[in-house]
Amino acid sequence: MRNLTLLFVVALALVVPSCNRDTPRAGDKKTVALVLKTLNHPFFVDMRRGAQEAADRLGVTLQVQAAEREIDVDKQMQIVENLLQTGIDVLAITPSGSREIVSALVKATAANVPIVIVDTRLDAKAAADAGVQAKTFIGSDNYEGGKLAGEYVVMATGGKARIAILEGIPGHETGDSRLRGFRDAVSKSPAISIVASQPANWERDQGFNVFQNMLQAHPDIDTVFAASDLMALGAIEAIAAGGKTGKIRVIGFDALDDAKKAIAAGTMEASVAQFPYEMGKAAVESAVKVMNGETLPPDIMVKLEMITKASGSR
Amino acid sequence: MRARRFGTLIGLLLLCAVLWALTPHFLTVSNLLNVVQQTSINAIVAAGMTFVIISGGIDLSVGSIVALSGVALGTLLQSGYPPAVALAAALAAGIACGVLNGALVSIGRLPPFIATLGMMSVARGAALVFTEGRPVSGFDEGFRWLATGNVGFVPAPVLVMLIVYTVAHFVLTRTTFGRYVYAIGGNEEATRLSGIAVGFHKTAVYGVSGLMSAVAAIVLTARLNSAQPIAGMMYELDAIAATVIGGTSLMGGEGSLGGTLIGALIMGVLRNGLNLLGVSSFLQQIVIGGVIVGAVLVDTILKRHRH
Repeated sequence: MRNLTLLFVVALALVVPSCNRDTPRAGDKKTVALVLKTLNHPFFVDMRRGAQEAADRLGVTLQVQAAEREIDVDKQMQIVENLLQTGIDVLAITPSGSREIVSALVKATAANVPIVIVDTRLDAKAAADAGVQAKTFIGSDNYEGGKLAGEYVVMATGGKARIAILEGIPGHETGDSRLRGFRDAVSKSPAISIVASQPANWERDQGFNVFQNMLQAHPDIDTVFAASDLMALGAIEAIAAGGKTGKIRVIGFDALDDAKKAIAAGTMEASVAQFPYEMGKAAVESAVKVMNGETLPPDIMVKLEMITKASGSR
Repeated sequence: MRARRFGTLIGLLLLCAVLWALTPHFLTVSNLLNVVQQTSINAIVAAGMTFVIISGGIDLSVGSIVALSGVALGTLLQSGYPPAVALAAALAAGIACGVLNGALVSIGRLPPFIATLGMMSVARGAALVFTEGRPVSGFDEGFRWLATGNVGFVPAPVLVMLIVYTVAHFVLTRTTFGRYVYAIGGNEEATRLSGIAVGFHKTAVYGVSGLMSAVAAIVLTARLNSAQPIAGMMYELDAIAATVIGGTSLMGGEGSLGGTLIGALIMGVLRNGLNLLGVSSFLQQIVIGGVIVGAVLVDTILKRHRH
């Protein structure tokens, strides 16, 4: 009777892995590990699809692991430590923290596992101090993406706008870079003013609430830039609730499917597209090159694009 | 209760046996050291949580206190204060938050859930304000020894965890304070009527929890070589889970630190094993959730049998 706990634990341990083991280490097939920030965001799901396609084509085993939450660096570090125990051949990783993850990469370096960095750059100084050297960086620059959005706003508004900004989680490198790029681009136009800038923590419902509050305080806002589409989509709902649909330009980031639909419908103006599928593909291709002893360029940049109604939502 | 804890221990051992059978990578010295190291932070936070839950309360603010103590530590280290000063300040920050929780519960008569929910938000906000949202990183090797060092073959974080559990176990089982913690959780009114200063001891319990969060913050900061204001999110849930799997009753009055340590190890071994086996992170959440609910279910069934 009282051993029910252990029965339960054992049953779970037996059932789950046996129905879901995707790590057969058949023959001398090489294994590439791809450690993502999370898998509950379409961006990383696309990245995994791209990586899987390349892995199948090139005949390597792909192991994908991710923390439950995007900002959990310690979990990501644990995953790296655990994967190193299984004897992976290359580690491709999207760092949850550009400095913090260096401690985990020190262990990969010690185990002679080459590292490929994807999407978020390592902090150059932290990596150099710890003696960590990645084989390459694959990604598109968030700063450049923010700048692209800012330049678009300058162009579309003729250099005259009252802007509200929805920020991501404070202290998060990705969001900070996008905002820096955006601010740098619009700051050259004297008639553009940023009237409000508040975090909505990457979330759709917070995008709604925060933007609704901003509209109360500044009814003359005519443009909103959200550091991610989820927040932009929330803002669009708030605009609709305030009866201002069509009067406020909404520019997002990520070009999620929902955002593309909103652009086609005219409720959203534009979104910066990154190409996570291409990043995932390039990550595995680079990993294979590393295993073949090829030298890679320090940066492999994946394109960025402004998606608007005119450009057509592909 | 002893039998219950024994059951949890056998559960842990069987889990290990299953993983040993499923993957050759599990039962190696380096992997096992890996697991205990990964478990140490949650285990330390959960030790404080065990005091709180035995006393009949709950502490939702532990993760935020980890962040606040961590950034206090990181900022002082980086401004060139001696490590001893920075460590003392981190511990003081943790204790202060905990004591404030305790005062809100005992003097302010707030339900622990509300008081610590408030602190969860306040401490997180304070950590963000204090650092302007940016992580503080890059510390010297001497401090980082706390995460990277070894004593013999025992990694430093594991040593910290063992010391914490030894001291905490002694306090909980061999001191009057420990006995009062059980008494308050068992029947607060009766404890009060027998002349014990319930308010004071409850305040101290939350102080202990804050202190443990600060100790965990020290280890985490050394491990990541960085103090992040967004660190420690959801740690409260992991700590509550470890405590509950270890057989401590959410109704208060019963539980043990040995159980909590085993509970934390079960969670650590599960996560490690699921990583080694390449189980998707979505399924991992289902398994871990299942184990938590399963463990409490057993607890409830056993209690019904005793009556």
